[in-house]
Amino acid sequence: MKFTFNWLKEFVAFKATPEKLAELLTMAGLEVESLTPLREPETNQSDWLFEVAVTPNRGDCLGLAGLAREVSALTGGQTKTAPVSSPGKGPDTAKRINIQIDTPRLCSRYSARIVDAVDVAPSPPWVRFRLESCGIRSINNIVDITNYVMLETGQPLHAFDLDRLPARRIVVRPARERQKFTTLDGVERELATDDLLICDGDSPAALAGVMGGVETEVGAATRSILLESANFDPTAIRRTAKRLALHSEASHRFERGVDPEGTLAALDRAVDLMSKLSAGTPAAGVADRYPRKPKTATLWLREERIGKLLGVRIDGKLAVKILRSLGLDARREANHNRIKVVSSVRRPDLCRETDLIEEIARLHGYEKIPTTLPPLRSGGKKDHRLAWERRLRSFLAGEGFAEVINLPFTTETFNHSFVGLWGDAPTPVAVMNPLAKENAEMRLSLLPGLSENLRLNLAQKAETFYAYHLGKTFRAGPDGESEERQCLAGVMFGARPRVGLRHGEAATAGFLDCKGLVEGLLDLLHGAAPVTWSGETTDILHPGRAAALRSAGRKLGHLGQIHPDVCDRLGLPPFFLFELDFDGLLEYAPRQIAARSLPRFPLVERDFAVVVDRAFPSRQIVDWIKNRGETLIEDVSVFDQYMGPPIPEGKKSLAYKVSYRAEDRTLTDSEINSLHQTLVEQIGRLFGAQLRS
Amino acid sequence: MNDSLEALRGEVLEHIQKSDSEKELEELRVGVLGRSGKVTLLLRGLKDLPAEERPRAGEQLNQLRRLVEERIDTRLVAIKEQSRERALKEEQIDITLPGTRWERGRTHPLTLVIDEIVDVFLAMGFEIARGPDIEDDYYNFEALNIPKDHPARDMQDTFFVSNGRLLRTHTSPVQIRTMERRKPPLQVIVPGAVYRHDDDATHSPMFHQVEGFMVDDRIALSDLKGVLSHFLRQIFSQETGVRFRPSFFPFTEPSAEIDIQCLICGGESSAARQTCRVCKGSGWLEIMGAGMIDPHVFKFVRYDPEKVSGFAFGMGVERIAMLKYGIDDIRLFFQNDLRFLRQFG
Repeated sequence: MKFTFNWLKEFVAFKATPEKLAELLTMAGLEVESLTPLREPETNQSDWLFEVAVTPNRGDCLGLAGLAREVSALTGGQTKTAPVSSPGKGPDTAKRINIQIDTPRLCSRYSARIVDAVDVAPSPPWVRFRLESCGIRSINNIVDITNYVMLETGQPLHAFDLDRLPARRIVVRPARERQKFTTLDGVERELATDDLLICDGDSPAALAGVMGGVETEVGAATRSILLESANFDPTAIRRTAKRLALHSEASHRFERGVDPEGTLAALDRAVDLMSKLSAGTPAAGVADRYPRKPKTATLWLREERIGKLLGVRIDGKLAVKILRSLGLDARREANHNRIKVVSSVRRPDLCRETDLIEEIARLHGYEKIPTTLPPLRSGGKKDHRLAWERRLRSFLAGEGFAEVINLPFTTETFNHSFVGLWGDAPTPVAVMNPLAKENAEMRLSLLPGLSENLRLNLAQKAETFYAYHLGKTFRAGPDGESEERQCLAGVMFGARPRVGLRHGEAATAGFLDCKGLVEGLLDLLHGAAPVTWSGETTDILHPGRAAALRSAGRKLGHLGQIHPDVCDRLGLPPFFLFELDFDGLLEYAPRQIAARSLPRFPLVERDFAVVVDRAFPSRQIVDWIKNRGETLIEDVSVFDQYMGPPIPEGKKSLAYKVSYRAEDRTLTDSEINSLHQTLVEQIGRLFGAQLRS
Repeated sequence: MNDSLEALRGEVLEHIQKSDSEKELEELRVGVLGRSGKVTLLLRGLKDLPAEERPRAGEQLNQLRRLVEERIDTRLVAIKEQSRERALKEEQIDITLPGTRWERGRTHPLTLVIDEIVDVFLAMGFEIARGPDIEDDYYNFEALNIPKDHPARDMQDTFFVSNGRLLRTHTSPVQIRTMERRKPPLQVIVPGAVYRHDDDATHSPMFHQVEGFMVDDRIALSDLKGVLSHFLRQIFSQETGVRFRPSFFPFTEPSAEIDIQCLICGGESSAARQTCRVCKGSGWLEIMGAGMIDPHVFKFVRYDPEKVSGFAFGMGVERIAMLKYGIDDIRLFFQNDLRFLRQFG
């Protein structure tokens, strides 16, 4: 809502400077967004343009008269009303025009006056200056005056060319389904039965509360006008404006509620101005249908509730004073410690005790309310998810990964390739009104976003890209409900970045680096249940360089090198990726840590190497040894893999380390040698492995 | 004998003095004191001397032997010192070279700010609650006292998804979900992503909020002021001016908009304010919305507004991050350009 300082002063007497007024309004909940100095063109007088953000509950402040009441409450200044005298001439308007309201629920009042001998001409400069300052284009004197009075009173007005209403019978009724109607802006619109029409007999003349029709528009040839001042249902107007995407000054006000008691005052002011500006001659009388008068209610304000809700003592007398300053009928019942307030038609937002307390707080001033700290009555619970998220982020930062956050929208193509951890052919959640039509689905996986981040950073000449995203993925469930799952995904491209002098040729991240990282995460989580790795692959992964992670039969994630076909489609160089079900990981973590005492006897290590087929999984030997249940073997691990001469083509050499320890004594060399030799011989027989020394 | 001894003594001591390595001294020791060293041989030759000369000659030779040993040891220490000194000099490093290390990873600036916000409230005994990003109209609007066809819905342009559901436009639905499940007293914060149909330099279709609320049998507006003033001073600085002014939200009554003094111009002098692009001359920055939970909201979750009261608040994480770090385009947060991300964390 825009208005000028001098214009407001015509409605209320106050002494505050423009800056002071701006502060008063802002601190009373009418935020002044801008204050701009102006100069009136004819008088060269200083003026100031105010732009106020009026919240949706304060429809009453969408006119200067309402704002003036607010300023009066804030400053103590008296409100003023412009003197109006326009009894009019000729036969009574009520006899010249008939008004019929078919749906009083949607139109509680319809008032109209007629102005004859209209002389359509440009408005005087001061009218144009005020309208244009307030963001309303000047059209001609008639239309301008309807807008001018709307800015003053908050009551939208509409002028019809009376000659274009041959039936002389205003009918307010819903539109027929698919009925066509051309509004003032020249656009033909298809209406629905939700829309309310102002008709002349049967032919539509205006879209009620939103915009007039092109057929009945006031123009140079207009001789008489019918001036409409009506009251429409906020919800109905909002639906129409929203559906037709037709937001007007009138619809804005009706949506927020207009005082039905004000229709006549606005009409009188408008015809008076028309008469004064020689735009026409007002006809006598008024046509007014008022089928639904709003009722007032009695509200009770308990004085002790004020202090309880606000935390400040405001006594009954002060409360009454504040409420009266707003023009409310408030009376204190001192012996009951309560205040009786009659609700006001002008302020439909004040209908409960809380609403009145808010008004008291607002006008008393929030700055006068003390600051207190409430007693702590519920201790905060430790948040395990937060703790794990933080540990994980800190681990990944230590491993050189940058955290990214991506929007959840993606394309059908991406969702087709990257289905995340949802299993077979998940249904994505569709966005019905996307910002861009190609981004009309919610992601199934975090990888499309990460691959786009890689692309962007490569374009910025990044040589390496190590990044992760901890975020939600979405799918439409079979029952129509959507499912959300927190996932952790990452990409590794190039060599892990180092700072400082070059130290040989940096190694590009490979499969084992990727797996090692995920193993590090699992280690961090101290998983209670064992995890198993399998070579199971997915469409996005290189079939020979893919691994899946499971725990208790549940798939927790996969990792590996991106499939060369996918790489080609994306137009990206090869990279490694991992994708984990974070919710799942949290379920399987963490195990309770129980410390073991340190061993008292020394550890002895023995190595052996075997030559096996290249396809042989190294883990088999580790598992076999562990499953043997030899209590003297504490640990076994593979520590080297070699291919190339003198190892024959198609074979590889694997080196293992076995750790021996007894809990109760120091093992002797001969004891260990015999154990180790038996072990190595058995491996040779079982796995057909050729042993190397 | 005396003369030759004197000559030997002179020769050996000079040799010791000239030696500059451990090896040379060791050879000398062997050559003089070893099994067939010169002094050893002379000592062995003592038996050929007349008996009356033997004690004196023996005494002289032993003196010489001790002297040589002592001198060699002294010289050895000196040589070790010299060589250590030389080594120390040679091993000098250009300490202006950069240290070598793995490049550290980074935590996203929004995560950093969320962490900071969350920590202030955790320290005040709040706990964290979470909820789905895809919501129902009921939780996102209806139960928050935003009925269908109410202009308040214009404040939040909504993304709709399949099955008549929507992307939550604020974290407030979690308020309803939490209160439905639990009884007061409650002190909860809700960090999370929210979505609005909007896209420009200051609006992103996805952004983050931290919502919070406190419900108990006697929570007042003054408590809201106390808790949030404390919070803002923790996040910004102890000196930051904080201002509460009336506003409107459908789910709170009374409602407040909370401003802090402009972080750029300080908001003090009007001259500095006039040219400030951040606060646009007002001297204040809108930082969060808050209010006393509306009785209608309590009715939706079956709390008795006669018995309980509470406050709720919400803030935009991106806005706070932009002010804190001086970022002028919200889209930078979601482009994930390493050149941007590396400036944080």
